Amino acid sequence: MKSIRRGQHLITLMMLAFLIGMGVLIYKLQTEAAFYFSHSSKVTLGCVYDRNGDVLFDPDADKDTYGAKHFIDVGNFIGDNTKQMTNTLVAQNKEMLTNYSFMLGAQEDGDASIHTTLDHDVNRLVYDAFGSKNGCAVAYNYVTGEIYVCLSKPSINILNHYTDIESLEEGSMLCKVFYPTVPGSTQKILTTIAALETMGTEKLSKKEYECTGSYKNRSGDIIKCHEESGHGTQNITQAFANSCNPFYAQLVEDISFPLFSIRRVYQRLGYNVNDSGETTLNVNGIESFTASTTLTDSRDFETQWGCMGQGKTLVSPLQLMVWQSAIANTDGKMTTPYLIDHATRVNGDVTAAAVTERSAPMFEVETAEEIRRIMLQNGTENYAELLPGTSVGVKSGTAQVGSDKRENSLLTGFVDDPDFPVAFCVVIENRKSGEVSTSQITAKLLQNLKESLK
Amino acid sequence: MGVVFKNGISYLGTIVLMLLTHISMLGIVIVRGNCESPAKLLLLTAAVLGLDIAYIAVIKYYRQMTYTLDILLLCVLNMGLIFQSCFGGVNLSFKHLITCIAALAACQAGFLLTRNHEWIRTKKPYIYGVIGLLILCIIFFTGDRGIWINIGSFSLQPSEFIKPCFVLICAASIMELHKKKKLLFFYVSLDTLCLCAMALVIFGLQWWCRDLGSLPTFAAVFACALVCRLCYPRAKISRTAVIVCGVAAVIVLVAAWVLAPSYVQDRLHVDIWADQYGNGYQQCQGLIGIARGGWLGLGPGQGYLHNVFAYESDIVFMSICEEWGLLYAFLTVIAILMMLMTVLMNPPKNYYHATMATGIVAVFVVQMALNIFGSCNLIPFTGVTLPFISQGGSSMVTCGFLVGMLKAGQSPLFRHKNDRPKKKKSGQKKKSKAGRVKA
Repeated sequence: MKSIRRGQHLITLMMLAFLIGMGVLIYKLQTEAAFYFSHSSKVTLGCVYDRNGDVLFDPDADKDTYGAKHFIDVGNFIGDNTKQMTNTLVAQNKEMLTNYSFMLGAQEDGDASIHTTLDHDVNRLVYDAFGSKNGCAVAYNYVTGEIYVCLSKPSINILNHYTDIESLEEGSMLCKVFYPTVPGSTQKILTTIAALETMGTEKLSKKEYECTGSYKNRSGDIIKCHEESGHGTQNITQAFANSCNPFYAQLVEDISFPLFSIRRVYQRLGYNVNDSGETTLNVNGIESFTASTTLTDSRDFETQWGCMGQGKTLVSPLQLMVWQSAIANTDGKMTTPYLIDHATRVNGDVTAAAVTERSAPMFEVETAEEIRRIMLQNGTENYAELLPGTSVGVKSGTAQVGSDKRENSLLTGFVDDPDFPVAFCVVIENRKSGEVSTSQITAKLLQNLKESLK
Repeated sequence: MGVVFKNGISYLGTIVLMLLTHISMLGIVIVRGNCESPAKLLLLTAAVLGLDIAYIAVIKYYRQMTYTLDILLLCVLNMGLIFQSCFGGVNLSFKHLITCIAALAACQAGFLLTRNHEWIRTKKPYIYGVIGLLILCIIFFTGDRGIWINIGSFSLQPSEFIKPCFVLICAASIMELHKKKKLLFFYVSLDTLCLCAMALVIFGLQWWCRDLGSLPTFAAVFACALVCRLCYPRAKISRTAVIVCGVAAVIVLVAAWVLAPSYVQDRLHVDIWADQYGNGYQQCQGLIGIARGGWLGLGPGQGYLHNVFAYESDIVFMSICEEWGLLYAFLTVIAILMMLMTVLMNPPKNYYHATMATGIVAVFVVQMALNIFGSCNLIPFTGVTLPFISQGGSSMVTCGFLVGMLKAGQSPLFRHKNDRPKKKKSGQKKKSKAGRVKA
């Protein structure tokens, strides 16, 4: 009879396991039902708002209600529910906007909504500041992680309902803030961080190299400087400010700065070095490329060129901006950016309130303090007009892209003000001399944002 | 009768509960259903209540120690009939009604064939023969490594019929375990060897004909038989043997996972939402349907899922959720589980019936898990039927037969033919019947 009883226990066990499975299933269905329903054709969605209550997305929007270009600056970032664009806030958070609950079912007039941290007025101003140029801009609070500005030009006017899709410029349906671009000399921030981590502040500050306008590296390749007559003898602070390529080529070749340590620091910063594994940043479901590069031999032209942000090195503007938080906070920890401040359910209950998240330390506090000092000095000496009366840490860059060597202009940095802790990155594509500059757009961004956040 | 069996609740109570369930469901159809014509509703009502009354009347003539299982089976089958008749609009599903009747008949057949363990053990070679025949049918008559035999407008799935046969040989082999003989260096029982060989043949066949949905069911039955075999008195299984069996099972599982054909790998790793209009179509539509239905459903016949392939079989749980709500779908599952729980109320009285009951519960639990959790994307979707609810003659008849076997364990026959008692006088007969109803 004992073995029969064991059989009974086995039966009980099987039924219990099944019931536990049913419990898990019911919990899963209950919690994910809004996501499932968001894929239904009968879905009704709520609105997306900016930090001041301005509408960024309305499923019933039309030109008469909002004006013809109300959504143009956020078209490829906030997006819409048509499934034409997938890496947008609405597409990635549709279930949060769905006027639906498992208990009540679908509601025509529910209170589901998303409240973002974006400042639409400033966003539009910066978008307009690009004029005829294309590019992107992003700014966020490096203490809390709130994204204030995020735009990419050209964009798409969702009020045209894709009737003009054939005539759209290339890249209109992608927010370039999240996609890779060649970083140019802004990469020198990371190479300097790697050097500081490897050599230490004191040793690096003593390093001096000669710039004669070009440098023949150990492989026999020529690294040219943008200053044809040369910068003369340079230390790290001067070379950083002057974006001196020969200095950085010699630094990478230096035996006290071995390549493996550059690789290690880059990987800690989130780089995919030599296909070591891709990482992504996620902003409320919006996937962002981080960074990648190829470093094979410190004497090799491609490796040296990569450490200066050219060639195969790629970074997303979002990642460039987020690195600034680790420098500006002087603790080597990144502040994770977010866009959704809070959301409301169909019945009006507040849900998904934002929480500030910080990464593990990526570099030493001493390193952060030194690179911060170097960037602030560069900002004070060369970019005082960005935010008069306030120190701004800055690094500019010019990146050669495409087979025709078009030049993209980049500017990234942070504001050194505890009441206005903003990090930013601005990219202008194919910029030519005399056209609107990244510093002009950044100045507009920072000054208007400061005014708006008062 | 000698052995006392408990019945949990009185038969009258169970019958009233069953009738209330069906009447309330029909009430929901009237109030919330998509019913175009009252005649169709009337026909459905007549079919459901008619079957209830007719079957109760019929089982009165069967000598059993408990009738709880019959009533619960009838309850679940008619719930299934109502569900199937309401998908996409109220209209009695004659096909399902016929399969329900066939399942009830199969239940009695299963009961009569398996209640005498002495008798069924003598028929073991025939059961092996039936399985062999079914395997040959699958190999030669199902076309290109398929699982269906099409005869005119009917389709049969022979692998379904192997399930009760396999449970039977598992149960019938359990008592032969102590008859070990030395083979080379090992003491083994011939029955165990035959059972293992048959299990391997069945697993191989399932793999060959790509019916990987049924494979876990057979594996569960075999595993239960093994556990029962380990628990069997005088089994004398060494700890090493148990560990070796466990390790072998893990290796087989890992190998199956790695070596699974590409279409299985697709199912194992598919992101249904990324492939919403391809491989994940059924499941995505089903999950959207569940979300639409919520707790209380859209109402019988008001759903959309009847437009999706296999709405009445592989994703029937989702179809029920959409139209009747998750609450009703869960209650249906509980009703099926209650049927299986009767084994715990009336435990089998011998090893044969105990092993059989364990195997049967394994079949139903695994199949329910595969259907419900698979369709809802909790585990890989294998496309098996939901016992008693899904449409399909082979599945329904098999389920009925298995319930009959389960019932046999609760009304076992211990006497030999020559022990049959002499005819009772008419007065005594009446007394014994009255006692049975009260029990």
